[in-house]
Amino acid sequence: MKLLDLFRLVINNLSRRKARVGLTAVGVVIGTAAVIILVSLAIGLQKNATEQLYGIGDLSLINVYPGFGGEMFAGGGGSVKIMQGGGGEGSGSTDMLLLTNSALDDLSAISFVQSVIPREYLQSSMIMKFKKFEGGSGVYGIGTNDLADLGLETQQGSTALSRATVVIGYMVAQNMYDPTLRPGQEPPLPPDLYDQQIQLVLSKWDADGNEIRKNISVRVSGILTESGSEADWSIYMPLEQIKTLNEWATGIRVNYNKDGYSEVLVKVENPDHTLEVRDQIITMGFQANTMLDFVQGINNFYKILQVVLGGVGAIALLVAAIGIANTMAMSILERTREIGLMKAVGATNRDVLAIFLGEAAGIGFIGGLGGVLIGWLAGQGLNIVAVVYLAQQAAEQGGLPPSVAVYTPLWLPIFVLLFSIFIGMVSGLYPALRAATMIPVQALKYE
Amino acid sequence: MTSSPLIHIEELKKHFQMGGTTVRALDGVDLDIQAGTFTVVMGPSGSGKSSLLYLLGGLDRSTSGQISVSGERLDQMDENALALFRRRTMGFIFQSFNLVSSMTALENVAFPMQFTGTSIAQRNESASKLLEQVGLADRSHHRPSELSGGQQQRVAVARALVNNPSLILADEPTGNLDTASGIAVMQLLSDLHRSGRTVLVVTHDPRMTRFATHKIFLLDGHVVSEAEYQSAILDMTQTVPE
Repeated sequence: MKLLDLFRLVINNLSRRKARVGLTAVGVVIGTAAVIILVSLAIGLQKNATEQLYGIGDLSLINVYPGFGGEMFAGGGGSVKIMQGGGGEGSGSTDMLLLTNSALDDLSAISFVQSVIPREYLQSSMIMKFKKFEGGSGVYGIGTNDLADLGLETQQGSTALSRATVVIGYMVAQNMYDPTLRPGQEPPLPPDLYDQQIQLVLSKWDADGNEIRKNISVRVSGILTESGSEADWSIYMPLEQIKTLNEWATGIRVNYNKDGYSEVLVKVENPDHTLEVRDQIITMGFQANTMLDFVQGINNFYKILQVVLGGVGAIALLVAAIGIANTMAMSILERTREIGLMKAVGATNRDVLAIFLGEAAGIGFIGGLGGVLIGWLAGQGLNIVAVVYLAQQAAEQGGLPPSVAVYTPLWLPIFVLLFSIFIGMVSGLYPALRAATMIPVQALKYE
Repeated sequence: MTSSPLIHIEELKKHFQMGGTTVRALDGVDLDIQAGTFTVVMGPSGSGKSSLLYLLGGLDRSTSGQISVSGERLDQMDENALALFRRRTMGFIFQSFNLVSSMTALENVAFPMQFTGTSIAQRNESASKLLEQVGLADRSHHRPSELSGGQQQRVAVARALVNNPSLILADEPTGNLDTASGIAVMQLLSDLHRSGRTVLVVTHDPRMTRFATHKIFLLDGHVVSEAEYQSAILDMTQTVPE
């Protein structure tokens, strides 16, 4: 039997029983529409979360810290030093793998690593002052051209650092306040710090608990563009200057070649290789983490959500499948003599099986098509309402407004349509097999 | 020297269980039917004549014995081979017509050709010619419910011929028809025989024997002579209480 003849016969047979086919297909419509809406919602939520998360940090960046009792690094020509004990704290028996200059060379040698950037943070408390404003931010020391290597851009000035200058994040000035302001008074507009001298007041305490202050004056040579990352809230100064300030703050002179840096940023060529490089760094014995872990964790959560919501829709589809099986079983009972006739005129068991499976698949297809259309339209409707609502929420509570709430990727309706055809065929399999294996004479004599 | 028969049946038995007892529908039938004959199988209800027809058509399985049609052993064929054999060799006519109610006369006649892979144009052409041959050219787009019993059976005859079979098997073809329609159908079958086909009709209608070249009488699953058959029929009518 030709495929075209099969299609024609199936369409004719289905159109003979429009009401019953239609009612059975409604079940499939509900099931598929539920799957489309719920999975689209889960995908929309994931898309939204990912969009927001991508702002949190650079996904090609790995933060590396010294390894505490980590795996021993055997390779690298002995360029990484493994020290016994640590600066007076801990048990003294812990192996420490330090971020010395030679370790930095080893990190640079890993494939796909674009740059290795040591970073030190200021080890004292600090208050930033500008005119009547005060504020506080994390202060980091970094190589003079490293901000550009990290992919950061400025909205004013340059990312290049020099002695007695700082580059500040977008939110640093926004976050400054007037300490003399009384309750109920209107807060002043944040100051424009670009090219201004600001004071950094550092504090430390002696053994008797007396505060010792140090005032330094620096010029703001650049303000970073908002990136949604940690950089928005940071003040960057040259690494050498931070080293000097830390010596003052801790009273310890650190030999970076011997004792290593407290943190190194490893920039990978692109996020596809981030986890691979992260794993290699951990194998070397360092501690390493990346924002991508977090994003992937969130992604996994949404994948599970998709499966769970898809499963809820699938329950409706399962009920529809039972409906198809019932309709087909009834149809076969009513058309028993017709089946006998088909066999008498030379239809093989396979022909009969194909006809009835085709009819069941046809019901699945009709229902699936309706469900996909209704599900998609409902999703679009929901989108319009939800995006407006979420945008209002974002405006009230801060944060980026969502671009989409319900997202239906092209693969979803195609998959759901094929799946509903498959469900139809599976449901129709048993009735169709019964039809195909009927003994012709019994079918012909069926009353 | 005689040619080998078209149909050869040897020790054919068909037994089945009904209500705990074994029914011997056919109980050791031997038969030879030559090609080009018009054979009428006569027998009262329960004589096994329909069982014989369905076994000959490969629509049922025998309990034992041999059935050969055109030299091929039907009792040794699997379902698929039987379906293909029926498709190219046989045409069936049933007492209750067995037309598909949702299809027009033309579609019903063309129906068997769907399984042979013939193009629609050729199917429609063959079906139209056959409808014309059975005198229903003007009824080709009518559905069975719009046709009389006689017309429906003529559509069924046309359908039986559509794959150009050499053997026509008819089960009580006049059973559901009035006298005039019955005679018209009988005439049609006779014409088929005259055109060179082998026709085998199962009936208890004695009028059918007028067209037959050969007659077979069945009683209780056995082939009997005409004299034995007539005597048994006479006994039956005499023992029926008034």
